[in-house]
Amino acid sequence: MTAAITSIVSISHQDSFGKQNIWEILTPLGNQSEVIAPDYKTYIPPASLRRFSPVLRMALTAAQVCQNETSVPFDSISVGTSLGCLKDTERFLQTFITATGDTLSPTAFIQSTHNTIAGAISMALGNHSYNMTHTQNSLSFETALIDGLLCVQEGKKNVLVGAADEAIEFLDVLKPHVIQSTVPFTSGATFLSLQPDTAGNGKKVIDCAVHFNNTNTEEAITTFLKKNQIDANAIELVLFAGEIPTTIGIKQINYEQYTGLYYSSAAFACHLANDYALAEGKYVLIVNHQVNSKLGLTLIK
Amino acid sequence: MDIFVTGIGAISCIGNNVQEHFEALITERSGIKKGMHPHSERFLVGEIPLTNQELIDRFQLKVNGSRTGLLGCVAAKEAFSGHLLSEDIRTGVISGTSVGGMDISEIQYRSYLENGTHDISRYKEHSSGNSSEEIALELGIDGFVNTISTACSSAANSIMMGARMIRSGALDRVVVGGTDALTEFTISGFRSLMIFDEEWCRPFDESRKGLNLGEGAGFIVIESATSIEKSGSTPIAQLKGWSNASDAYHQTASSPDGYGATLSISEAMKVAGLKPEDIDYINAHGTATPNNDLSESKAIMHVFGDQVPPFSSTKAFTGHTLAAAGGLEAVFSILAIQHGYLFANLNHRHAIEETKLVPVKSTTKVKNIRNVLSNSFGFGGNNSTIILGEL
Repeated sequence: MTAAITSIVSISHQDSFGKQNIWEILTPLGNQSEVIAPDYKTYIPPASLRRFSPVLRMALTAAQVCQNETSVPFDSISVGTSLGCLKDTERFLQTFITATGDTLSPTAFIQSTHNTIAGAISMALGNHSYNMTHTQNSLSFETALIDGLLCVQEGKKNVLVGAADEAIEFLDVLKPHVIQSTVPFTSGATFLSLQPDTAGNGKKVIDCAVHFNNTNTEEAITTFLKKNQIDANAIELVLFAGEIPTTIGIKQINYEQYTGLYYSSAAFACHLANDYALAEGKYVLIVNHQVNSKLGLTLIK
Repeated sequence: MDIFVTGIGAISCIGNNVQEHFEALITERSGIKKGMHPHSERFLVGEIPLTNQELIDRFQLKVNGSRTGLLGCVAAKEAFSGHLLSEDIRTGVISGTSVGGMDISEIQYRSYLENGTHDISRYKEHSSGNSSEEIALELGIDGFVNTISTACSSAANSIMMGARMIRSGALDRVVVGGTDALTEFTISGFRSLMIFDEEWCRPFDESRKGLNLGEGAGFIVIESATSIEKSGSTPIAQLKGWSNASDAYHQTASSPDGYGATLSISEAMKVAGLKPEDIDYINAHGTATPNNDLSESKAIMHVFGDQVPPFSSTKAFTGHTLAAAGGLEAVFSILAIQHGYLFANLNHRHAIEETKLVPVKSTTKVKNIRNVLSNSFGFGGNNSTIILGEL
């Protein structure tokens, strides 16, 4: 399932947009951080910009930059989002719950569906290809990535994969009753272009696997590495979220201290892996264990 | 690699199982009527006359989550009945939904806005991903779970994703389809778009004004030949083609010339290796909105020229069940092949002037149906086509 990463762009609570190497700008987030947004006017026409919620702005801009970095139009687009366009969803709930007259403004409803993100990208890029939206809680990015890798395997030449999620204030109400994490809610979008594996020097996604009834993370990792015929000693860096066993990888870094909490942040870890200076023959393993029984494993070389 | 259908399941306003759907389709009995709930009573809708508790009791469900999840469990359980879990058959669930657990969130959120009180624990049902995880739990499947959310093409895309996972060798057998409960959120949304018809919807009719909404779930089980050797399942049809393409025209409207739909129909036929004359019936998306039906008609004409096969929309039976539509209509397509029926496009009187296309007006028994093409088009210009065929 190997594919080469040819572009990767993140808009996040880090100053990650347009950076050569995002490790240079990383700072652990405090409780009050915000999205460090680029000047969206450069990427989104004013009429759309006024209507678009933060998640749409972030995703569209990141996708647009990925497209700008290649001369070929994408021949598939797959996006993962755990909670979708939350701001417009809440706005439309408020619209119809408090409505007094017979007419309702449709804008928030139109922009509330999960696939508004991928749909808006297809429209902005004038792209008629395969267009998919995956939403699988904490494994939303991984399922979109698996789709993208499948597209490459099927012969597609320039595949866009992305993840985007946005925080709204209401989410804080859910803590600690529904969501136990102590990490503050944040927003983020990461998009990457994948191409068939060539001899280039860039990073490659080797494989991605998801587990829905994970009871033994260590065993799952061992099986995953074995399937890819990789020795555990070849893992130079483990990027993780949630609790993981300490036995694998020379170095382990919790990426949630940089991303904050959103359930497709493994995509940002992918960006970290892409920018990491790996020794020859070594790998980065992303272990997404944000939610107890769910496990996402992504291997990057 | 051939992909076989080995199970089907359905629930909607015209039936609680596949057999009841078949009877309604051949006797031309629509399930659309005046809504039964405060948010639906002003409209003609396809509601399932069972409460959540009644669904749990009648179908002996283990899970108790959102209505979207419950409906999904009912249809997926029927599709998967007779199938056994086995270590050496890698099995997954891929389900489409547009609203997920909104049926629960909207009640809690209203209470929060109006009285400042709500049951916070109930929001854990909100996420769309949960409805699929509940279906997987109900069936005892934990190998792979994936939720597709592309509005009204969600189920068709789930079927496509499942087929691709099997073809790539990642899975052997997948329960694929879609589910959506009819929520106040959805009704208000379509009301804001002003695309409801206050009368019964009339797909492909010159006088069509808009859609009637519905709720339900439709699932099919697909397997590779090797999986069937191990499972011993009996194949009932083949899944031959699939495609998704982007219209890239407008967030809610389809392009007037049906460009994206033309792409998805032609590409699905290419995947299936079929020519236009191999298609014996089209189960159209046919929502009965002025925009969709004209755009879809043009796409069909682009591909089939003046040899358009018999076609109909079954939305006037079930209402538009959104993310479930492609799943239910896959089941109807399989029934058409199994029993040799073209299903009625109810309420049709006059062809659209611009196209002159006349759908199948009443349910008709025919000698043989080899291949059925089924369209599902969603917001965001998301166009999908699947093709089911005889064995």
